[in-house]
Amino acid sequence: MKHLTKTCLSAAAFALATLPALAQTMGPQGETATPSNVVAVADADVEAVRAGNHTAALLWHDQSDFVNAVTAGATAEFERLNIKVVATTSAGFDAAKQRSDIETVLAKNPSIILSLPLDPVTSAAAFEEAKSEGIKLVFLSNLPSGYEHPADYAAIVTDDLFQMGKQAADALAKSMGGTGTVGWIYHDASYYVTNQRDNAFKTTIENDYPNISIVAEQGITDPARAEEIANAMLLRNPDLGGIYVTWAGPAEGVLAALRANGNKTTKIVTLDLSEPVALDMVRGGNVAAIIADEAYELGRAMAAAAVLDLLDQDVPPFVVAPAVTVTADNVAEGWMQSLHINAPASLTTSN
Amino acid sequence: MTRVTSRLNGLDFQQAVVYFGFLAIFLFFAVTLYDDGFLTQRNLTNIVLQTAPATIMAIGLVFALSAGEIDLSFGSIVAVSALSCAVILQDYPLPFGVAVGLGVGMGIGAFNGVLIAYLKLPSFLVTLATMGLFAGIARSMTDLRSIPVMNDTFTGIFGSGKLFSVPSLVIWTVIGVAVGHLIYRHTRFGAHVLATGDNPRAAQVSGIKVPRVRLYVMMICGGCAGLAGLLYAGRLQAAKYTLGESDLMTVIAAVIVGGTALNGGKGSVIGALLGSLLMGMLNNGLILMNLKVSDQMIVRGLIILVAVALSLRDSNR
Repeated sequence: MKHLTKTCLSAAAFALATLPALAQTMGPQGETATPSNVVAVADADVEAVRAGNHTAALLWHDQSDFVNAVTAGATAEFERLNIKVVATTSAGFDAAKQRSDIETVLAKNPSIILSLPLDPVTSAAAFEEAKSEGIKLVFLSNLPSGYEHPADYAAIVTDDLFQMGKQAADALAKSMGGTGTVGWIYHDASYYVTNQRDNAFKTTIENDYPNISIVAEQGITDPARAEEIANAMLLRNPDLGGIYVTWAGPAEGVLAALRANGNKTTKIVTLDLSEPVALDMVRGGNVAAIIADEAYELGRAMAAAAVLDLLDQDVPPFVVAPAVTVTADNVAEGWMQSLHINAPASLTTSN
Repeated sequence: MTRVTSRLNGLDFQQAVVYFGFLAIFLFFAVTLYDDGFLTQRNLTNIVLQTAPATIMAIGLVFALSAGEIDLSFGSIVAVSALSCAVILQDYPLPFGVAVGLGVGMGIGAFNGVLIAYLKLPSFLVTLATMGLFAGIARSMTDLRSIPVMNDTFTGIFGSGKLFSVPSLVIWTVIGVAVGHLIYRHTRFGAHVLATGDNPRAAQVSGIKVPRVRLYVMMICGGCAGLAGLLYAGRLQAAKYTLGESDLMTVIAAVIVGGTALNGGKGSVIGALLGSLLMGMLNNGLILMNLKVSDQMIVRGLIILVAVALSLRDSNR
């Protein structure tokens, strides 16, 4: 009986965990999403915050255009509020380095830490010291295991992951005329962000596009293997109308495979901006669309959430920034909306 | 004056670089980051805690390099050992987890050692191959999942615990360096390691069992990587396939800066400790200086380049 109860509870937990993929983006603990534009420091509070001489540290997981844009968004909001950024680090996806980075910046006694915890399990102990010192924690996308809102952290801020996957499905379906076969290359790891996006794509195709069928599914962990995965997929399914690729890194490999096969008809959609992938898109190649997040807005919302917590105001536990569908027609605007920088010259002069 | 010149001439320049470099960088950060908490006891302790696993790996590498071999696979060994230990600790008591973690490290070291010592394969190529082999095994053994370590005694002994107010990672560092130094400098085996690295043919002729020495140094290297894996698992209270992955270059640089010759026959465990602390101090100080991440990487790379160039200058003559 005890075993049966445990099994039922596990099944219920699994159902809850998979539920978000069915309808909308939900937090790692099933939290409902609050749009990022709702999270803002009121004008009436700005002077009080500015007088507080608060400090912040930005502890990122890696370096990329995305991280630069998040940093820029957070830094701009902090500057507006006279909050000094005292340290910025990159863990290079190394959980041990992230732990060391946290310990190191604690020497500067920051009031706020913005970070992307690398992994729920390894990050739980890593952020413990910062948490116990009362530092306001705002997490990007991931949540350390066992952390409770609002006692342990101010908010999780992330992309509208379901919308990203859904918009990828919509864009691919549109480029295929609403009919045909699709290959689904998903991230084969237990990672909240990519799992949500990948499943949202699949769910949308299955539910909203009855004339499109997913005929090939292949997981990927190493982007360097994308080309051989795509080659195998095309060998078995030479008439593929489209391929979904979980993020832009492996999409470059898929693109290389299509080019090597002389394939000009199979469409690609992927997520996160990449110049080589976008270049193919603006030149009328295989890439139909890239779905991007509003990284700058993510940074701004993270900073604002931390400040609201400093002010002892209620902060929604799970905040999402909107997704942008970037096509050849709006590449300049999309780049600016996502990363808050001009699109590379190669993209704007290739049209 | 003549005496001073004479003493300076007698100084081992390669070994001295790490002492002067360590002191110079420490003084630089102490002055420039005085108001940023660099000199606080907490921050200095953090540097030792953060470098403990790398220091233990560096000690193992001193033995391998001194014997004229190299181990590129120790980062992968760290991950496999940490994951093995974490998996065992989920169902079995602490001694089993520790034994398996260390045993896996030494076992992989022995595997490398047999290929190198008895099949006469070059250590660079063997460990380059096993680096990939065991990185793949680390990924597959838990299907990329992180494994939490819930055993409080284990995390106390190998991670966050203290004995008479001294953090356990500091104790492991001291024990590792003391035992490593003792074996390296004050035992017949240590002398055999240096003789093998200096001139293997002469060592063989003089009765040293060179293949056995090579096997043992690779086992020591693997065992140290295994212990480093336990320290990571204790510190993070979890194990993950990425542990140790990014330590390869840092540890090699620490050992070279510490005065160990790349081509064997010469080394220093104390130097490796200082080299490792120097690397940790650089990471720590550059973050506290609030440099951009890319600038941190550039400055760290340049400082390591200068230190390694100075360390190797003597041996290249």
